[in-house]
Amino acid sequence: MPGLASDPGDSLVPFLPDVRDPVVYPVRHGVNPPIFRVYVSWTRGNFLQVACLRPPAAEPAGGEEDGVSDEEIGGKVVEVKLGAGDEEISEAQRRRIAYGSVPAFALLQSRKNSLAAMSRMSASSIRTEWWEHVLEYSRHISDLLGNPMLPSSTVIEDPKMIMQPHEEPTTLKAAWQLMEIFYVDKLSSTWLPERLVDWLADYDSLLTETTIHSKVEGLQKRLSSLKVVVEDDPEYWEGMSGALAAGWLDAVVKLLRLHGSYQLEQLGSRETENGLVEAVAVLVSTMPRMRPHLPAGRLGQCYKTKPDFIKAWEKWRLHISRLDSSTFWVQCSHHQTREGLRNLLQIMLGNISNLRAATCHWMELFISHFLYIRPLTMGLDEFHSLAQKCMQLKSSSSSNGLMGLFIGILGENPEVVLAECSKTLGPWMVAHAMELLTVDNGHADILLHEERYSLGDISIEELHRLVYAQVLSSHPLTWQIAPTYLASCPKQGLGLLEILLYKQPVQHYQMILKNLEICRLYELENISSSIMKIAGTYHWKHGRKGSGVYWLQQARDEVRLNKIAQQLFECIGKSISDDSFKQWEGLIELLGSQVGTAGGLEFLHKYRDFKRSLQQVQDGSPVDAARQTMESLMQLMKNSSTPQRFWLPLLHDSVKLLNWKAQPLLTVSETNLLLNKLQELSMVKLHPDFCESNLPPQALSSVRLALATNLGRAVLEEC
Amino acid sequence: MARSGDLHFHRFPQSKSVDAVRWLSPLSAFDRFVAAAVHDTDAASSSLEIHSLTVDAADPNSPLFDLRSSWSSPSRISSLRSSQTPHKHLVAAASTLAGSLHLLFVDPVDGSIDSELSIADDRSLHAGPISAVDLQAGGQACVSVGEDGRVNLVTVGESRLDHQRVHDSRGLVSYMAARWASPAEFATGGLGFGVQWWDQRKPGGLVSQFKGNWARGSLTGIVHSIDIHPSRKHICVVGGSSGTVFAWDLRLQQQPILLSGVSLNETTQPISESDVWEVQYDSYTHSSNINSAPSTRILPIMMCSEDGILAVLEQGEEPIELLAENCAINAFDIDPQNPSDVICGLEWESIGILTRSRETMVRY
Repeated sequence: MPGLASDPGDSLVPFLPDVRDPVVYPVRHGVNPPIFRVYVSWTRGNFLQVACLRPPAAEPAGGEEDGVSDEEIGGKVVEVKLGAGDEEISEAQRRRIAYGSVPAFALLQSRKNSLAAMSRMSASSIRTEWWEHVLEYSRHISDLLGNPMLPSSTVIEDPKMIMQPHEEPTTLKAAWQLMEIFYVDKLSSTWLPERLVDWLADYDSLLTETTIHSKVEGLQKRLSSLKVVVEDDPEYWEGMSGALAAGWLDAVVKLLRLHGSYQLEQLGSRETENGLVEAVAVLVSTMPRMRPHLPAGRLGQCYKTKPDFIKAWEKWRLHISRLDSSTFWVQCSHHQTREGLRNLLQIMLGNISNLRAATCHWMELFISHFLYIRPLTMGLDEFHSLAQKCMQLKSSSSSNGLMGLFIGILGENPEVVLAECSKTLGPWMVAHAMELLTVDNGHADILLHEERYSLGDISIEELHRLVYAQVLSSHPLTWQIAPTYLASCPKQGLGLLEILLYKQPVQHYQMILKNLEICRLYELENISSSIMKIAGTYHWKHGRKGSGVYWLQQARDEVRLNKIAQQLFECIGKSISDDSFKQWEGLIELLGSQVGTAGGLEFLHKYRDFKRSLQQVQDGSPVDAARQTMESLMQLMKNSSTPQRFWLPLLHDSVKLLNWKAQPLLTVSETNLLLNKLQELSMVKLHPDFCESNLPPQALSSVRLALATNLGRAVLEEC
Repeated sequence: MARSGDLHFHRFPQSKSVDAVRWLSPLSAFDRFVAAAVHDTDAASSSLEIHSLTVDAADPNSPLFDLRSSWSSPSRISSLRSSQTPHKHLVAAASTLAGSLHLLFVDPVDGSIDSELSIADDRSLHAGPISAVDLQAGGQACVSVGEDGRVNLVTVGESRLDHQRVHDSRGLVSYMAARWASPAEFATGGLGFGVQWWDQRKPGGLVSQFKGNWARGSLTGIVHSIDIHPSRKHICVVGGSSGTVFAWDLRLQQQPILLSGVSLNETTQPISESDVWEVQYDSYTHSSNINSAPSTRILPIMMCSEDGILAVLEQGEEPIELLAENCAINAFDIDPQNPSDVICGLEWESIGILTRSRETMVRY
C-alpha cells in the first residue's frame, strides 16, 4: 500500500485540507509533467484505471520524428488496485469457496423447484425432507470453508501438548456453523447447549484479543520452553480454571497430570496432595454431559435422556461437594495447589463469581452456564436472557460481527442476522446463508421472499443473490458461475444475465464459445446470435475475413453478409491484380451458398468466371478462352440479376476482346444487344441518381467505338 | 454407459487460471514433471510452471505436486506442447496470444529451466494470436498456425529459431489446430470443421483438404484439436464444437467417421453437446479386438469438453465416462510413458490428476 503523499501541493487533484483524514495515495504513472488530463474509470474487480495524458504536442517541425522516445510519451494508463491486502481470507481462497459452493447451491435450487412442483404432497413430509436437504447443503459448504485438522496420528502422545494443533479458524466458518446449529440441524436441537460448547472450543480465538484460548496457548508455550515447577506458576492455575470453565476437560486433565506431585521423587512427600489432584482429575473426566456422543479424545460421560442425565449430574455434584468439604485440604501444604484445586471445584459447582473470574469474554461465561449452572436450558428466550445477563457481567467485552450475529439469532431477528452477515462477512455469505435462515421459519421466509416496492419489486433474497452475482461478474475468472445465481432470480436475473453475456470480450474464440455455451444452457438464442454478430463484425474489422464470415453465417446475419457481398461488388470494375483477385475469389468461396437470396451471389460467381477467363486471355490468349470470355460476358449482360452499374465496367474490361484481331467474337445480334444496353446506360446517365463509376471519362465512347467496329466486322462475317 | 474401472482423481488448486497442461517425459519413473501454462488475472501475468508429481502407487489418493521452476511469459499462453531433444533435454513449446513463440529447455533431473529460444511478437511470425503450435518428436521443428491464416514452420537451431511461412491465407481461412503426422507432414484444422493436410516436400504444401460442410446447416463448428496415431498416419481424429469428434481418413476423403456428436439421425445421445477442447489417442484403453482390427478401425480416443466430461470413445462402442466435473475441462494430456495417468486443466483454477488402475480398465 503506498504511503501518504508528503506534499499535497504536488497532487493532481486538489483536496480540501479540512476534510477529516483524507487518505492520499500517490499513483506512479511515470508521465512527465505537465499533465493535461486525468481520466479515472473502473475496470474489473477492485481495479481502477487511471489515464494520465500530456497536452497534445505541437506539430513536429520536420515530421520525421517517428520514434518517440520514452521521455516524450504522450500519456499512460495505470491500473490501481484498491483494497487492503491483510484480509482473513485471500482473494484466491474466496474464489475457491465461490467455485465450490456452486454445485451445492445449484443442487439445492433444483430440489426446491422439484419439491415445489410436487406440492400436492402433504406439507409435513415435505418439511422433514427439506431440512435434511438443507443440512446436506450446509455441511457441504461448511467443508469448503475449511476442514478441522485430523487428530495427530503419532503413537506416543506428547504430555505437554495440551491443545491439538488446529486449523486457523475463520469468522466465516464460525458464523456458518452457528447458523447451521440454530436454523438447520434439527437432530441436535435436544442438546443445543453442548453444541455451543463444541462451537466455542473451535472458535474461541475469534471472539476478542484475550480469550481463554489465548491464555491456554500462552501457557502451552511457557510449559514447553520453561523448566519450572508448574504448580508455583499462577498462570498454570489461571489457564486451567479457564479451560475448565469453557469445558475443555481433556486439556484440564492433561494440565493436572503435569502437577509436580506426580514426579516420582516427590510422591512420598506429597502423597495427600497428589491424591487431591488425582481426585479432581477424575471428577473432571467423569463429568456427565447431556449429549448423544463425544468426539474422540474428549472427556465426560454422555447421557441421552434427561432423567438419566439429571440423576448422574446430581450424583457428580454430590461427589464434588463431598471432596470440597473433606478434611484432606488441611493436610495439603502447598498453598497454590490447595487454592487452585478448590477454585476448580467451585467452578464445577457453578459458583458464579469463580466462573466470572475464570472467563474473559461474555460468550465464555455464557457457555460455562450451560456446563455448570443450567445444563438443561432450552428455547431461544432463555438463551437470549442468559446472554443479556452475561453481557452485563462482562461489560468490558467489545462487540464484533460474530457476536452481533449470535445476538441476532438468539433474538429471533432475521433482519439483524442478515445485516450482520452482509456487514462483516460479505455478499457470498448472505447469498448462501439465506437458505439456512428460511428452513422452518415462516417469519424469515416471508421477510426474505416478500416483493418490496422499495427494492424495485424484488425480494430481499433476490436482491442479495443479484449483489453476489454482480461480485462474481466483475472478475474474469468467476463470471462464468454468476449465471447459476442469476438464474435463481425470477425478476431481474435474466436481464442481468443478458447484460453479462453481452459484456464479455470477443477477441478470442475460446471466450466466445464459452459464452455461447452459457447461452445454449439457458436457451438464450437471441443473445447467442447477437454475440456471434458482434464477434463476426470484430473479426471482419480486424482483417480475419474468414472468421468474420464464419460467425456471421453462424448468426444467420443476412444483413451483414449482404453488406459484405456489396463490398465485393465495389471491387468490380477496379483493375484487379492477380493477388487481390485470389483474395476476392476466396471470399466468394467462403460466402458459399448461404448468401445471395437476391441473386447477388449468382452474379458474383458468373463475374468470377468472366474475370478468370479474361485473365487467361491476357496470359496466353488462345481463341477458345476468348470465346468463353465473351460467352460469360453475354450471360452477364443478359442476366437480370446483373446490376446496371456494372454494365459499363464489364464492357470496358472486354474492349480488347471486342477488337480481337483474328475474328469478331460476337454475332450481329449479340452486338446489337450490347449496343442497346449501352444506349440504355446513356439514358440513365441523365438521371439525377446516377452514380459515376471510376472509369476514365472516355470509357463510354471507347466501348461504343469497339462495339461499332465489332458490329461492322460481324456483319461482314455473316454475309 | 460402459464401466470406467477404478479411478482416483485428485485436484490441486492453483489460484490462477490453468490454460494448458502437458507431461514432460521423465528420465526416471520417480520424477515426473508437468508443464502448466497459467494466467494470473489479478496480476495480469502469465507464466509457464514446471511441477514435479509424485504418485505413490500404494496410496494414489495423496499425490504430491510441487512447483519446481517458473518462467514468466510476455503474454497469455495459448497453446503448449512438449517433447524430448536427442540430448535428453525436455523441451516445451509455448505460443502466446500476442503472437510470440517460445521454446523452453528443461533439465530432466531437477526440472529447472535451462535455456529459452523465442520469436518475438513483432508480427513477423503471426499477426495476432497464435492459436496452436505443435512440436515434432525430437523437438527439432515446430508448426504454428493462427487466426490470421498463416501456417509457419519453425526450425530449432543451435541458439536461435528460424521460421519460414508455409502458407498465408491472409485471414480468409483461420486455423485453430495443428498436429504433426511425420517429419514432413502435418495436419491443420479450423473453421467450418475444415481439416487440411500439408506436406513440406510438395510445392505449396497443401496436399489435401476436407471441407466440413458435410454436417449440414447449423451443425458446423470449429476444430479445436487434432491427433494422429504414429501407426495410422492416414487418419486424423478431430475434436470440435457441439461435442463433435470425427475421424478423417485421407483415403476416404469426403466421408468422415463420426465418433461422437449430434449425428444426423439423432437417435443416439452424444456424451457431450458442448465444445470438445482436446482429443488424444488413449493407448491405455485396449480395444476389444485389437489384433483383428483392420487399419480403417479407429483406435480408442480420449476427449475433454466444456461441460466437464472426460471420456474415452471407441468406434461402435458405448463411450466410457471417466470424469463428469462441475466445470469445464479445458485441456488434458495422457502421460506417454505411463498412460494410466492423465493430467487435466480445470476451469476453476485447478489441475487434476487422474490415475486409472490396470486390472479393472480392460473392457469385458
